[in-house]
Amino acid sequence: METLAIALLGFYAAGYFVLAGADVGTGMVAPYLGRTDRERRLVIASFAPFLLGNEVWLVATAGLLVGCFPVLEGELLSGQFAVIVPLLVGWVVRDSGLWLRGRVTGRAGRAWRAGCDGAVVCGSWTVALAWGWLLAGVLGGTPERPASGAVALVTAAAVAALFAAHGLGFAAVRLTGLPYERARRLVGRTRAVHSFALTAVLMAAVPVAAGVALPLARSAADHATLVLLVPALLVVTPPLVAVQVWSWYVFRHRVTGPSYL
Amino acid sequence: MNPDVSEVLGLARLQFALTAGGHFLFVALTLGLATVVACLQTRATFGGGDLDARLVRFWGQLYVVNYAVGIVTGIVMEFQFGLSWSGLTHQAGNILGASLAVETIVAFFVESTFLGLWIFGWNRLGRWTHLAAIWIVTLTAYASAYWILVSNGFLNNPVGHRVEGDRLVLDDPVAVLTNPSALLAFGHIVAGALLTAGFFMAAVSAYHLFRRTPEWAFFGRSLRVGVFLSFPALVVTAVFGGLQMSSLATLQPVKSAVFQQETAEIARLQAELAARFGPGDYVPPEAWTRGGALVMLIAFGLMMYFTLAGFVLAFFRTAVFRFRAWHVALIAAVPLPYVAMISGWVFREAGRQPWVVYGLLKTEDAVSDLSPAAMRASLATFTTLFALLVAVNAWLLVRHARRGPADVGLGRDERPDADPGGREDPAGALPVPRY
Repeated sequence: METLAIALLGFYAAGYFVLAGADVGTGMVAPYLGRTDRERRLVIASFAPFLLGNEVWLVATAGLLVGCFPVLEGELLSGQFAVIVPLLVGWVVRDSGLWLRGRVTGRAGRAWRAGCDGAVVCGSWTVALAWGWLLAGVLGGTPERPASGAVALVTAAAVAALFAAHGLGFAAVRLTGLPYERARRLVGRTRAVHSFALTAVLMAAVPVAAGVALPLARSAADHATLVLLVPALLVVTPPLVAVQVWSWYVFRHRVTGPSYL
Repeated sequence: MNPDVSEVLGLARLQFALTAGGHFLFVALTLGLATVVACLQTRATFGGGDLDARLVRFWGQLYVVNYAVGIVTGIVMEFQFGLSWSGLTHQAGNILGASLAVETIVAFFVESTFLGLWIFGWNRLGRWTHLAAIWIVTLTAYASAYWILVSNGFLNNPVGHRVEGDRLVLDDPVAVLTNPSALLAFGHIVAGALLTAGFFMAAVSAYHLFRRTPEWAFFGRSLRVGVFLSFPALVVTAVFGGLQMSSLATLQPVKSAVFQQETAEIARLQAELAARFGPGDYVPPEAWTRGGALVMLIAFGLMMYFTLAGFVLAFFRTAVFRFRAWHVALIAAVPLPYVAMISGWVFREAGRQPWVVYGLLKTEDAVSDLSPAAMRASLATFTTLFALLVAVNAWLLVRHARRGPADVGLGRDERPDADPGGREDPAGALPVPRY
């Protein structure tokens, strides 16, 4: 049962990094891809329909962590307090910027949208850097306190760069027009799909590496809980994935115009 | 207690109270409005006219604005258990954690995916598929509320568990899922959410009718929906509230005694609990417990007369369109359901102190081992952020509500029909990238 719980946790965490990593990364490079208000709106439209469905993988990961590994959840989150708080703040700021950007029109609209764009970019960078910092702590063998020193800086920067590269690849697969060309220029000669697939594999490896470093097997919840919880979650996971696949299929076309956001 | 621990405890409690209260302001409206929008869209889909479709888009947009801010505050809530209350996940994680896990995956995951499809799938999904999407969003939102209240119900009335060492182990899952403290609260919350949505719709409509904007037919119907929803919702809320109140005497006798100011009974229970659990103060703070309950009951009384009168008035066309004093009253009444709900939560949560898991784990033993500086920084950050979000949300709701249904972003047809080649892969049409 513990093994299945770990597999589920790894699956949802990898899902978050691959899927939401793409929209966080696109948010990080949004000022490069979109130079005007309209272009930036197009950049956001590239991931807008998936935004909710992407970040919910992390909500599910946190749910699995508290459900199947409650003691570890408490120790990890309170131990990494200084990392988790900026991560959450970045997440909240970024999401607010995205959701509220298109909601003010008229005279105040221009300044409002510029402010929201700033929130999206800063929030996305904060989230990516915080993940890197968290990873440095977990991989460095000190999940009970945040990592410090050069290792933490380098890991944070490397993970953030990976997020940005993943976002660029995603933008090159999804966008059209000038933002597409800009993404294309950085992705280089490689086909956009290949670049995106490569970063996706690397992104999936990030939480798997973290999972290997964490004492998951010996901090699992009580058997009576797992024996109910894990099969139930295993049963619902395939339909959940199917719905997400369907959602990606519905919005599979490259974006040419703005969306609701 | 160590002064540092005592300070962290106070700050962590304050942070939880403020973020939970802030989050709940959004939840209450979201849960109710989703139901209304789903019903409106059902009518629009089953051969409704243009007005029905516009109702869906207008109220749907207010729902989405409110939802978006609600979701980001909810994210902070989920992580807060581990951040500030690791003692709780350590001791009660086997039960509390499991229902939170089911909530995130079975309910919230589905809700988010389908909400994305609903918002962005306008003019893209078939009308029946689109209708199914909003109903799935609504029903999974209810499921979410249920699972959260299973967690909260367990904290208030722990059932179906066994104590093994310093941890609780799941013993009887059915007892956990049918905990009266969860089920009664669920009925209370769902009806209260519908009440909030009813008040909100009635107020926005009343504003337009009062100002005599051109959309009189649109808002006349909306006002009736809101007012006709409010009264029955209030009655159901009150019934579930009454049932909870009467179950308190057996489930949480001290809370009940503090509420009724039975001094002798309080002293007897305090002595009994001190004998059972060791020395300590087992009486919840009277100001918050009794104060919360009284504010809730006063708000309920006001709403009872107001919604009953409204229920009668709304049958008369003249009143709906011309009774301007009533319009003003409807606008002014918007805070009432919020006040009632927040004070109800204060009564429920402050009234179970000093326990975080009733009779099993004290709040002071559940707080994480954090430095006061870290906790202060976190409290300051989240409080500022939440206050800002509540203010922005209120401002945007008012702005969109005042603007009316003329220019609604939600459901606008953004398809590039003028540009039929627009959907093809642009890679072929663009110049080869230069380096």
